[in-house]
Amino acid sequence: MKTDPNIPDADGFYEAIIAANEGLSDAESDAFLLRFALLLANEIGDQQLLLEAIRTARELVAGAAGSR
Amino acid sequence: MTEPVPAAGGGYALPVFPYRRPAELQGERRRHKVAVVGGGLSGLTAACDLAGRGIPVVLVDEDDTVGVRGASSRGIVYAQKTLEIFDRLGIYPRIAEKGVTWSVGKVLADDDVLYSFDAARGSLSKQPPFINLQQFYIEWYLVDRLMELPAAELRWRNRVTGIALHEDHAALAVETPDGAYTLEAEWVIDASGLASRIRGALGARMTAEQGEDRWCISDVRFKKPLPAERWTWAKAAFNDGRAVWQHPMADGVWRLDYQMGPNADPQLIADPETVRDRLRRHLGTSEVEIVWVGPYGYRTQLMEHFRQGRVFFVGDVAHVMNPFGARGGNSGVQDAENIAWKLAAVLRGAAPEALLDSYDEERRAAGAHNIHVTTRTIRFLAPRSPFEHRFRDAVLDLARRYPFARALVNTGRLSVPFEYRASSLTTGGGGAVPNLPITLPDGGDGALSDLLRGDGASFLVLCFPGVAAPELPAGLARCFACNGAIGGLPVIRGAALKRIGSAGEVLVIRPDQHLAARLVNPAASAVRAALDKALGKEIAR
Ligand SMILES: Cc1cc2nc3c(=O)[nH]c(=O)nc-3n(C[C@H](O)[C@H](O)[C@H](O)COP(=O)(O)OP(=O)(O)OC[C@H]3O[C@@H](n4cnc5c(N)ncnc54)[C@H](O)[C@@H]3O)c2cc1C
Repeated sequence: MKTDPNIPDADGFYEAIIAANEGLSDAESDAFLLRFALLLANEIGDQQLLLEAIRTARELVAGAAGSR
Repeated sequence: MTEPVPAAGGGYALPVFPYRRPAELQGERRRHKVAVVGGGLSGLTAACDLAGRGIPVVLVDEDDTVGVRGASSRGIVYAQKTLEIFDRLGIYPRIAEKGVTWSVGKVLADDDVLYSFDAARGSLSKQPPFINLQQFYIEWYLVDRLMELPAAELRWRNRVTGIALHEDHAALAVETPDGAYTLEAEWVIDASGLASRIRGALGARMTAEQGEDRWCISDVRFKKPLPAERWTWAKAAFNDGRAVWQHPMADGVWRLDYQMGPNADPQLIADPETVRDRLRRHLGTSEVEIVWVGPYGYRTQLMEHFRQGRVFFVGDVAHVMNPFGARGGNSGVQDAENIAWKLAAVLRGAAPEALLDSYDEERRAAGAHNIHVTTRTIRFLAPRSPFEHRFRDAVLDLARRYPFARALVNTGRLSVPFEYRASSLTTGGGGAVPNLPITLPDGGDGALSDLLRGDGASFLVLCFPGVAAPELPAGLARCFACNGAIGGLPVIRGAALKRIGSAGEVLVIRPDQHLAARLVNPAASAVRAALDKALGKEIAR
């Protein structure tokens, strides 16, 4: 999994995410993020990479799965 | 051969098989080769396969009919591999004639068809991907077939109540209308279903889990014409946003299966008024004849070992899974086939007893796999948290638009044969070889299964153009040349053969039609080594 900068225009990306969620309720933004994640997951299409990203995200939020 | 008829007013008229006083209760002492306990799908298949291979077998069942006490409505979907086995056993033509052949499935969410598939696409087998038929018909056909086989003895109203294991045999305690007796057998196949007494008596270890999801089956007849397809709703407005199954079977009966709320009261969900109301909302008509209604919850069970000494556990005894994907009965039939050829080979002296250990190795792996697959389906159909609900909604939403998300919609992954890739019997391959249509050496039309039928437990060695005919000890395997002469080997022909092997290859196929080895220009010694391995001779070392 890449952890060095790889998004060509980082500020532009951040801005676009914010703009896309403008005026959305929390529930809608949640729905947005889920769809966003699914679209990207298919784009990546590499099982090992996806599992690694899932593991990493989980650890960042609450430690390894099964640790609580 | 009698044909059952659906009884007026709903259910079915099932056959009654005659009880006869067992030889042991007439003062005879017997030591049976193989005893099969339980005349359900798994036990009947095991007995039929063994007797068909010329191995004497006695089957005992506590009942005297087919179907499980009142629950005449259980399995309905029989998958290709199972149909191929039934073809080899000789009952396939009756199944094809009576059942509903189908291959198209549709997956829906409310009024939208998310996707449809045609399982017949790319199929190489002589049998179709699926036939739907009430389970008891299949059991009935197996009983009829067993009655034609001289090596089989059927004992109805014989209930097994206990077991004792001895060095060279097992002793079953059996109760009959004429009293109790002891049935001695060298080997026992326990196929007595999910509540096996034998399993209990032996104290065999098992993991078990009870699900909280509830379902209500309604088997019904109605006039409205619907396509002979499998429709599954991941969620349906007419069922309060929960899942629904719609599937045809024989006699114009449809299986409609409705997901209920978690821990719903079985009495309430099967209440006649409630059932009628549900059917009206689904079908848009009240003109529905109810054949059978049954609420159920699912459970998962898996034995730690599928063999204990002289006892083999097959079918629901060994593994229970939820029914989505039709993996229960289909895998029981495949368990039965697996143990049958191995026991036949050992009893004929062609293989060491160690071969029998591979039953546990191969079929427990298959059972664990099936449970894993069906558990994933349930997690999709019954999300457990608000997050899981939202995530699933996102998947369904995307699936309406984009093909990629359709792959994530899981309303059941239909039964496919397990691949014995990691098995100690496998040199290379392990997957099931489809039952290819071929021209037989005598010029007649047939299929690969025709080459596997008959006495003993035969392996097939298929030689493709360019290889030398391997010299094999007599009786070890039946050897054929594919699409052209090789030495003096009998020749089979068929366009589909090219799909499973290429020039220069030799395929070693097990009696259960799984691939044991794919060898390239092998010396005869390499073919023999693959056969020896598949007969458990390496395990024995
Ligand atoms: C709602 C539902 C839908 C299903 N749909 C499908 C499907 O579409 N396709 C599929 O493949 N599977 C399906 N299944 C699963 C399938 O019905 C079972 O896996 C299958 O019946 C198992 O067969 P078995 O022979 O192992 O056990 P059983 O069918 O339970 O047979 C056990 C036999 O043993 C006998 N017996 C029990 N105790 C004793 C004793 N002590 N002494 C002597 N005899 C005894 C009983 O009389 C019975 O005949 C479904 C199951 C359910 C509940």
